[in-house]
Amino acid sequence: MSQELSSSFLDYYTEFSEREYSLISFERVFGGASRETYKIHVKDKSENEEKLILRISQDSSLIDTDQKTEYLAYSAFQDSKVPVPVMIDMSEEDNKLGASFMLMRELKGEAATPFTPDVYSPHEEELGNQFWSILGNIAKHEINDEIFENFSKETKKPFWKNELDKWNKVIHEDSIGVEPILEAGIRYLYKNPPREKDFVSMVHGDYRSGNFLYLDNKITGILDWEMAHLGDPLEDLGWALSPIWSWQDKDRPAYLVKREDALTIWKDSSGIEINESDLEWWELFAAVKGMAIWISAGHEFKSGKNTDPINLFSAWIPGDIHLEIILDILEKNI
Amino acid sequence: MKPDINIALLNAAQEIINRFSPLIEDEYERSRLGSWGALILISAMKLNDASSSLRKENMDIVDWLNKYSNIDEKDLDTLSSFNGKSLDQYDEDNQKLRALLNSEIEKLEMLHDKDSLKQSINLMRSMHKRRSVSDLIGLLQQSEN
Repeated sequence: MSQELSSSFLDYYTEFSEREYSLISFERVFGGASRETYKIHVKDKSENEEKLILRISQDSSLIDTDQKTEYLAYSAFQDSKVPVPVMIDMSEEDNKLGASFMLMRELKGEAATPFTPDVYSPHEEELGNQFWSILGNIAKHEINDEIFENFSKETKKPFWKNELDKWNKVIHEDSIGVEPILEAGIRYLYKNPPREKDFVSMVHGDYRSGNFLYLDNKITGILDWEMAHLGDPLEDLGWALSPIWSWQDKDRPAYLVKREDALTIWKDSSGIEINESDLEWWELFAAVKGMAIWISAGHEFKSGKNTDPINLFSAWIPGDIHLEIILDILEKNI
Repeated sequence: MKPDINIALLNAAQEIINRFSPLIEDEYERSRLGSWGALILISAMKLNDASSSLRKENMDIVDWLNKYSNIDEKDLDTLSSFNGKSLDQYDEDNQKLRALLNSEIEKLEMLHDKDSLKQSINLMRSMHKRRSVSDLIGLLQQSEN
């Protein structure tokens, strides 16, 4: 598959750039459940080298989002305070590479696994400052009208219900069995909604440790925008704060800075006040949304549609952690 | 006496992680095989207790339903018989019991019965703890490294 794809890619990129290229390397990156990601290194006849990232849709994907959503989200933040890769091209057709895809320039830096403690040591503080501050910048970023219009089509108010309905549907379509903890969590969310904001933000949808690139003490790029949508900025905050991303050191969300510091940095950067009970709602929502993703992964694996071990891993370990988080929040609120 | 299945799996996992996976040059395929090794390791560690854990969970749910719901004990007769059942049968019973538990908890929520709800949280926590593999997260970090 990879060899066939690399040859199709070379043909496509040569035609697209109107220059002849040869491949130096073409490697698939492990991880990610919604797209296949490839690191590509090419050079032209004058020995000019280019490093590219290709994101291509999979036959079987956990999260059904089109390439355009992700492309537009990246486009919304080009040349802003939110570091994102430079976009090159996007195609929703499958006649070029066999599936829809998006092409961008590779950024310098590496992405960490979100489940490894102290992975950012010794730069936790500097990276933490940037991580929470960039999230604040996403929350207050003004979206250009054309992009806003595109995202608005998918958005209904109230935002919380729009999102909860969406993920609740995934859970009940893909569930292998009844999970009383999760059902109790969903009922709690419907009965105790947060207040609706009178402004709208771009929500990244998967802003967390592991979805950014860093080089020593600097964040060089925010990645994986395929779940981007318009909504309440506390949604991203709740997701990024979730203890699942710092399971072995829960007081330091994302294994970066202390929770209270993270909230202060976010408030200063976004200029948005945080209502504690609304934030708690979004933190419980994050666990329910996480469960929807892990259940979907388990369903893909069990049905044989996609037997990548990442799907089994997702159904087992993150699924367990999010259930425990739901239980903790429910117990606190009895 | 022959070595147990879980011992066979444990050794297979160790060989995959430590011996075969490092030989693969392609980064994607190496990570994928390493993940399989870690997942087999987790399976091996959970294999021995799978049946007894499910049986205990079913017993606990039946006890809770008898105590906190209005379901007639007789209606739980088939589900509360624990002898001579296979793992698949325990699993089938478990799905029915979980559905009953869920609907009974929903009734308690509507009645705002805090004490019974606390007991339901305790039950769900013990069920979750027994099944949980999240404490084995270190194994996956090890395989990624």
